[in-house]
Amino acid sequence: MSGSGFNRGLQAFWYVMLFFLYAPLAVVALYSFNSINSSAVFAGVSLRWYAALFSNETILHAFYNSLTLAITSSIIATVIGTLLGYGMYTYRHRRLGWLVWLVYLPIVMPDIVYGISQMSFFTSISNATGLFNLGLGTMVIAHVSFQVPFVALLIYSRLVGLDSMLFEACHDLYANGWQRAWYFILPTLRPAIVSAFFLAFTLSIDDFVISFFTSGPESTTLPIFIWSAIKKGVTPEVNAIATLMIGAVFGAAAIALAFQYVRLARSQASD
Amino acid sequence: MPSTKQTRTMGAFATRGSESPKRREPSHTGHLIAVISPGVIWIVVFLVLPSAYLMTIAFMTNGTYGLPRMPLTLEAFKELAGFGFLGWSPGNLYTLIRSIWQTVLSTGLVIAMAYPVAYYITRAPARMRPLMLLTVVVPSWTNQVIRAIGWMNILSPGSPVSNFAASMGLISPQMGLFPSKFAVVVGLVYNFLPFMVLPLYAVFEKLDYAQIDAARDLRAGPIRTFIHAVLPQTLPGLLAGTVLVSIPAFGMYVIPELLGGGKSMMLGNLVARQFAAASNWPLGAAGALIMIIATLLGLLVLRRLGKKLGGDSQVVL
Repeated sequence: MSGSGFNRGLQAFWYVMLFFLYAPLAVVALYSFNSINSSAVFAGVSLRWYAALFSNETILHAFYNSLTLAITSSIIATVIGTLLGYGMYTYRHRRLGWLVWLVYLPIVMPDIVYGISQMSFFTSISNATGLFNLGLGTMVIAHVSFQVPFVALLIYSRLVGLDSMLFEACHDLYANGWQRAWYFILPTLRPAIVSAFFLAFTLSIDDFVISFFTSGPESTTLPIFIWSAIKKGVTPEVNAIATLMIGAVFGAAAIALAFQYVRLARSQASD
Repeated sequence: MPSTKQTRTMGAFATRGSESPKRREPSHTGHLIAVISPGVIWIVVFLVLPSAYLMTIAFMTNGTYGLPRMPLTLEAFKELAGFGFLGWSPGNLYTLIRSIWQTVLSTGLVIAMAYPVAYYITRAPARMRPLMLLTVVVPSWTNQVIRAIGWMNILSPGSPVSNFAASMGLISPQMGLFPSKFAVVVGLVYNFLPFMVLPLYAVFEKLDYAQIDAARDLRAGPIRTFIHAVLPQTLPGLLAGTVLVSIPAFGMYVIPELLGGGKSMMLGNLVARQFAAASNWPLGAAGALIMIIATLLGLLVLRRLGKKLGGDSQVVL
């Protein structure tokens, strides 16, 4: 059968793809342990770039800024986005086409358009009134505005997956609005809200372009620091921070996967 | 289509028994506003207004230090088309054409690579699939600047890959594969691959294999089986993926800036340059406006296509 040859080819392609996906990250990690300042020759294992990293005030400050920005913006975006997603679900039979566009557009619009429009908007307001000076504050605003649509859609899709009879049941049991929110909607949505928060957090940590344009001189985040360092040609230290960030992402992915399998095992056990 | 909407609403209320829909309307509207207004206001004030402001800047005149001023003109668009003090030059148009070409090329490559991957994942045992999807997606969770550095390392002059390419006579020995247009396309494909695999996987998971078997029974070869039995079924996912890949790729800034060098600039870099160093905001805004128009047109066309095919082309995230 030609089928098995096809399957073998498919499997080979999968492994090539894995190599393609992970080689760049592996190279960054490898050169972060390089004992010389080169990205072409590996001369031996050394931790000198990590040592340089932890004694660098600028990097530590950038790390602090990244975390502050991600946590603050994710909290705001989760609250606003959850409400929005719930509203989109509850009123989905109404003419809310404009709302769907409003929520979808930020997701597909090139981030440079947002970064630049917000930068020019904030700069002009700041020139006229002195408010909205570029800095951590404007970055939080910018991040919330691109996180909200993702949160809203995640919550919306979770609600769509629910049995609509549950809502009717609440209604039949004469639950008022607050009771319904507190005893039914919030507990049901809790896993979705938690994953929405982490999605928002990852989006914020991952973002470079929007942060780059809405940041002020004092609000450098890690990606912005890395960017300016490679523009100046300093790479080995950058490889070290990058490796730590890659490590953090893989740790988070492993935790997410573990949770997923635990949930899967539980649902199988209850069947 | 008011009639279908009405029947759907009626259907929803019919299950609630005797209650009249009219009586519940006012409180519902209040509730609707309370629930969606924070999000809507935030998006309108901090996304729609700035975008509208940017569009206005595109029609303004370039003042001193690049800051825009009145009156409203079409100067920026003329400049974008290449008309300057020194007559006409095609530089900006080349950038625009290059953006389109690099977007089309990398989207095509992403599709070609994502199809087998998505299919392979669907054929794997059910408990392996989440792990395999995660394996494809996880690299894209790392910062795009970091991923670009990875490729800078791999493709830099003197690296094993560059040496290999040089020994094959593809490039001159002292040159690396980076910076180049090639590096930009590799970077784009790498960046956007997961955005195509996920929606394709979603449609592959629901694939009707009976159609494929039927095609095989009718002695269709692999290519005809694909065209007649697989492609039509996967088209909604393909369209969703194309939206998620091509639109952001067209406006890409980081990858051409880091991997491309001066001759591989895309529209995003042109726009950013006009805003950085305060050189010419209206020109930059005109470029951004073109990006917005391209985004909306792309969305409309793909939505139209999706509707025509009758599939519910919900974008999976």
